[in-house]
Amino acid sequence: MILACALALGACSAEKGLYSWADYQNASYQYLRDNDEKASEELIRNYEKIIKKQKGKRKVVPPGVYADYGFVLLQLNRMPEAKVMFQNEMALYPESKIFLDRVLKMIEP
Amino acid sequence: MRMRLLACVLLLSSALLTSCGSTREQTREVAYKSMYQDKPLSILIMPPINRSTNVEAKEFFHATLNTSFANAGFYVLPPFLSMEILKRESAYDAELFLNSNLEKFGEVFGADLAIFTIIHKWSKTGLTGMVVVEVEYLLKSTKTSEVVFQKRGTVSYDASITGSMGGLAGLMVDVAATALNTALVRQVDIAHKCNDRAFIDLPRGRYSPEHGLDAGLPANPPTFRFHIKPQKN
Repeated sequence: MILACALALGACSAEKGLYSWADYQNASYQYLRDNDEKASEELIRNYEKIIKKQKGKRKVVPPGVYADYGFVLLQLNRMPEAKVMFQNEMALYPESKIFLDRVLKMIEP
Repeated sequence: MRMRLLACVLLLSSALLTSCGSTREQTREVAYKSMYQDKPLSILIMPPINRSTNVEAKEFFHATLNTSFANAGFYVLPPFLSMEILKRESAYDAELFLNSNLEKFGEVFGADLAIFTIIHKWSKTGLTGMVVVEVEYLLKSTKTSEVVFQKRGTVSYDASITGSMGGLAGLMVDVAATALNTALVRQVDIAHKCNDRAFIDLPRGRYSPEHGLDAGLPANPPTFRFHIKPQKN
């Protein structure tokens, strides 16, 4: 009963979130809209903040962040750094391996 | 005395359990049965389907969907990288897959679920500054292609408050540019709020501490409606 009450209260209160996202959503929107160097740099700044200053309940980098960071680096021709990011994603979230192994095969020369 | 205390506790508990706006008795375990049976972990964001007249509506939702699902405890496939692969595989138009077999998305992306977002409307109503957004979310299993969670929401907000600046200030280019940016930021925010409201009763995923503990909580109705009040900038 107490657990149900606590969950009910938890569901109603503003969810703080398992992760902190900096200004990810605006940077993400600018990137989708403009897809230029400036938008990529802004998105990278946000990824760095999310990775280095993670304030969410789980205290780990949110899903997809390392992988998408890798993708943006790939677009900027920063292949070795991109691969490190893909490896980070797979280490933290093993369920990403099916997809990222496929992506790694696609980008291997 | 003890009976009265027990009655008070029961009354309080039921009030708390229904205080999120649900008037139906259905629990989440009943409403979203396969979510509890299959325990999906990973979600692929399909590019939103924009049937509205707002050309940027697709981006507003695409930029905001992953945080809602990640915060609900799911693994969300990287939205930009998966979008690129969908484009390369000629699968960028999600409309084509709305009623199709989704097994391939499970094989290629390792996704248990795929979220389809249909923006039905994002436009002003009449001569007022009131904007109405209508959006539908279909969360589908990649194994069965069945809908496992569905919501349709109507959100309204007053665009005249942030979108225009009268008088002398309105003539200044830099101020006008600021107003434009503010309006854009707010539209991203509106999509974000709409997502969060839609998934408020989504069974929590494996990375959430509430995973598996929310089955007895009430499910919200399949439709919702709310007004977003203006915020001071």
